[in-house]
Amino acid sequence: MDALSGNLPALWDGLVVTLRLTLLALAGAFAIGAVVATARVSPVPVLRAAGTVYVETLQNIPLLVLLILAVFGLPEIGVQAGLFTTAVVVIALYQAAYVAEALRSGINSVAAGQGEAARALGLTFTASLRHVVLPQALATVVQPLGNIVIMLTMNTSLAAAVGVVELTAAANRVNLIEAQPIPIFVGAGVAYMLLASVAGYVTGVLERRLAIVR
Amino acid sequence: MVHAPALSRMRRAALTVAAVVSMSAMAACSAEGGSPAVPPGAGAPETAAADAFANAPVAAASEILPGSTMEKIKQRGELIVGGSLDAPLLSQQNPVTGQVEGFDADLGKMLAKYIIGRPKVKIVNSASETREALLSNGTVDVVFQTYTITPERAEQVAFAGPYYTSGLAVAVKKGITGITKPEDLDGKTVIAGANTPAIPAIKKVAPNAEIVTFGSDPECVQALKQGRGVAYVQDQSLLVANGKSDPDLQVVGEPFTTDPYGIGLKHADDQMKTFVNGWLKKIQDAGLWQQAWKNSIGTVVQGEAPAPPAIGSVPGS
Repeated sequence: MDALSGNLPALWDGLVVTLRLTLLALAGAFAIGAVVATARVSPVPVLRAAGTVYVETLQNIPLLVLLILAVFGLPEIGVQAGLFTTAVVVIALYQAAYVAEALRSGINSVAAGQGEAARALGLTFTASLRHVVLPQALATVVQPLGNIVIMLTMNTSLAAAVGVVELTAAANRVNLIEAQPIPIFVGAGVAYMLLASVAGYVTGVLERRLAIVR
Repeated sequence: MVHAPALSRMRRAALTVAAVVSMSAMAACSAEGGSPAVPPGAGAPETAAADAFANAPVAAASEILPGSTMEKIKQRGELIVGGSLDAPLLSQQNPVTGQVEGFDADLGKMLAKYIIGRPKVKIVNSASETREALLSNGTVDVVFQTYTITPERAEQVAFAGPYYTSGLAVAVKKGITGITKPEDLDGKTVIAGANTPAIPAIKKVAPNAEIVTFGSDPECVQALKQGRGVAYVQDQSLLVANGKSDPDLQVVGEPFTTDPYGIGLKHADDQMKTFVNGWLKKIQDAGLWQQAWKNSIGTVVQGEAPAPPAIGSVPGS
């Protein structure tokens, strides 16, 4: 236990990096995900195809491979950013594919009649999506989106493999000196669990609040 | 829209077929790799290593005490070693032969021969965060993995040896100036292998250095060349080997630490510790230790094999 309590500052720094990584990547993933989902349900075939290609490509390549490619491959063609920035961008792009699919399933759950009614009222594609379809769609997919938030939080640990000293890497470094993997990694695990339960709690509250009685 | 599910089902089927084909191709490859029909990688170190095992001693039956760990290993017919598969010169799997080669790997094989009578080892790929657990729960019998003896670790595991002393050195990209000693790294970004003793060592000599870590040695070299740090701190022999194959790399100064590597054993297994120390003494006296060094680290470091460190000479061993 001393191994854990004696190294709290180092682990805390790691936790802060994990949180920053999570929040920034989350913002990016939701923004890109919304755009991709819109493309996937749009009436324009080219956009639909582009959205499908995006989702299938990003979902079908493991995040670790993407991270290593971005960190070690991109500089070979002259694209190089800091490790933290690269990790944020890659995680955001990767998770955006999952966000897009969750959003799309929500959009598909809205009865076709709703969209038709919106169009009958003279709303444009964007307006009907914004005022009629998306509010109902989002309420349906609060839970899957919450799961994606948790998944993203856990996935930030992969950034440890490309030199970002987040919680997992910090735990590794502490363990290197203390040689007490069980308390240290259990401690890190508890921290991840707390992050995930916060996300789960917020999701639950949102779901109850946004529930649509049909 | 009606066609969409059918399409994706087809695509999924195609993907599955592709995956199965590539998997069976991989299986075929590894089957070939393991088959004796494939000629082993020809080369002097290979044959020399084989000779080393031919001369390696075998323990007298009286030394394998009844009920001991040694007896358990002998009955199993295989020594389970916690080690690496990706550490050049020390313990690296040859993709052609499937054999694990290097200094640590050869010592592991010699220890297996000493106990069992033939150099039969199974290497369990361990990592610095799992070594203590693997030893204490009996998944591995011994750990040969540049396992630096420290008093903290000695509370969790027992160390035979030290069997080798190494030191960390600094490498920079060729042409970089202003770094001549480890203290020059203070305030700079420094690359190190994740889970290597380099991390605490850098913190000690250069407390304000920012340490960036990557999982493997090639990744660290790549990161250094891409300018993700000004220097790379790693075991000197490894850096010398890298410098030989990569002219962009330059080792500056002499090693600045002394890391005694020990053979990790289950905590408080004094019988086994005495036994392994006895074996280590024997192979050192017979010149086999020196031969293993020459076949591995000696291929990149000039000169004769160094004098092995005195057994039990560091705190924790």
